[in-house]
Amino acid sequence: MATVHITQEQADEYAIGSLEPQAERLVALHLGECLACRELARDSERLAGALALAAPRRKAPHRLRQRVMRGAGLMRPSPFHRVTVVARAAAGIAAVFVAVAAFTGMVSIRGQMGDLREHNDRLQAQIDDALSQKIEIAALTRGLDEAERNSAELKRAAASDRDLLLALMSPKTKVADVFTRDDGTFSIGRLVWDEDQKRVWFVARDLPQRPKGETYQLWANAGGRFYSLGIFAPDVTGFARYDTTVPQGLATYESAVVTVERAGGSNERTGPSVFVADLSGLRN
Amino acid sequence: MTQGHPESTGIRNIGRASEIARFTDGGIDVRIEWPDEALMVAITVSRDESAFAVLYDRYVDLVYSASLRVLADAQLAEDTTQDVFVRLWRRPETFISERGKFLSWLMSVARNRAVDELRARGRRRKREGGPLGEPDEASTPLFAGECEDPPRSAELHEAQVLVRRALTGLPVDQQRALELAYFRGMTQQEIAFTLHEPLGTVKTRIRLGMQKLRRALEQQV
Repeated sequence: MATVHITQEQADEYAIGSLEPQAERLVALHLGECLACRELARDSERLAGALALAAPRRKAPHRLRQRVMRGAGLMRPSPFHRVTVVARAAAGIAAVFVAVAAFTGMVSIRGQMGDLREHNDRLQAQIDDALSQKIEIAALTRGLDEAERNSAELKRAAASDRDLLLALMSPKTKVADVFTRDDGTFSIGRLVWDEDQKRVWFVARDLPQRPKGETYQLWANAGGRFYSLGIFAPDVTGFARYDTTVPQGLATYESAVVTVERAGGSNERTGPSVFVADLSGLRN
Repeated sequence: MTQGHPESTGIRNIGRASEIARFTDGGIDVRIEWPDEALMVAITVSRDESAFAVLYDRYVDLVYSASLRVLADAQLAEDTTQDVFVRLWRRPETFISERGKFLSWLMSVARNRAVDELRARGRRRKREGGPLGEPDEASTPLFAGECEDPPRSAELHEAQVLVRRALTGLPVDQQRALELAYFRGMTQQEIAFTLHEPLGTVKTRIRLGMQKLRRALEQQV
């Protein structure tokens, strides 16, 4: 098969670059293999190269020479340029130092902030612990106060019991039965009147709790006048024990009554009688 | 003793060129009279910076002018010119003197580099959605009939006069087709589209134009 060579026309078109890209590639491939066609193409390229001389003449800028020489690596930098480069390098190094210092400072500040945050967390934990302890101490204090109150109450009760026992042993002490005025209740009580100690004990059981705003109040009747001996309240089991001193000036007495009065007690008897004790026949 | 210049040996003849280069010294003042091919020998063999400087000063305006004619942008023309000369310094062996004159080779390199840049710019504009029209098309004359600056040498002046005379001697439609192909980097189909002419007509105009130019510039190239 005979080799197809390029024509002069194709060589010219190739040289001035007017071939389509695909045709241009085919021609270039052929030129790589065919010496004769390569010579033909070179002739066309020389002609095309001359065409560039037809361009309107323009003066190249003077600065271009420096650019080219520098680009080719042929221009030595001027002292001023060196100074500028050194100054720029120094400025760059200084900037790096500043940046490093700033970065280090930031890191340091961040570290300090982290330490402070950690310290703050520790303090907060300590505060929480202290608050917890304070709450526990308050609870313990309340419990202790209550225990003290209970203890005092028990002591007082024990002392009262001892006094009551002493009173019961005294020949001058008199005991009266206390009767409930309500036939529907089964309350039973005793009134112990100690002449020596000038003290009175009131003991009862199965006594109902009074509603809020009411209280039991003990009175002594002397010549038709009622002297208040105090107020009392039963415990949750209905047991009540109350002791008090006999008011001064009260030499004789005829009866004792327990009434229901408003909370805090009354100066004069106003409520209904719950218990009545006939004191005229007090027995030793 | 007056120093001469190396003969235009062709850079492939390295042995002889090296011999010649050893006797070359004396800076730009001496080399300024050397022919292009001798300067290229000195650059290739001896990395002669003065020879390069002489070649640069001798042809920078031509390279810049051709680049500007293609690109119609002073900054891009500067960049292209710089690229052409830097490549010349780094790879001078790409010039082979047996294949033709240095000036034709240099101008081909400059034109091809500028057209590459022109096409790349066209692709960028197309990608960025910018206008696709050729810049400065209407205001720029066809092949100029006279120079803006006086040529550096009589030889150059003579070459330019010959080329311009040959081109201006062509019919305007042939000038136009060659102009669009060579300085605008257009293919024949693009030229036909631009001129609203059949493809065959464009091919004929280019063929006839090149034939006439060849006859007119036979001695020059």
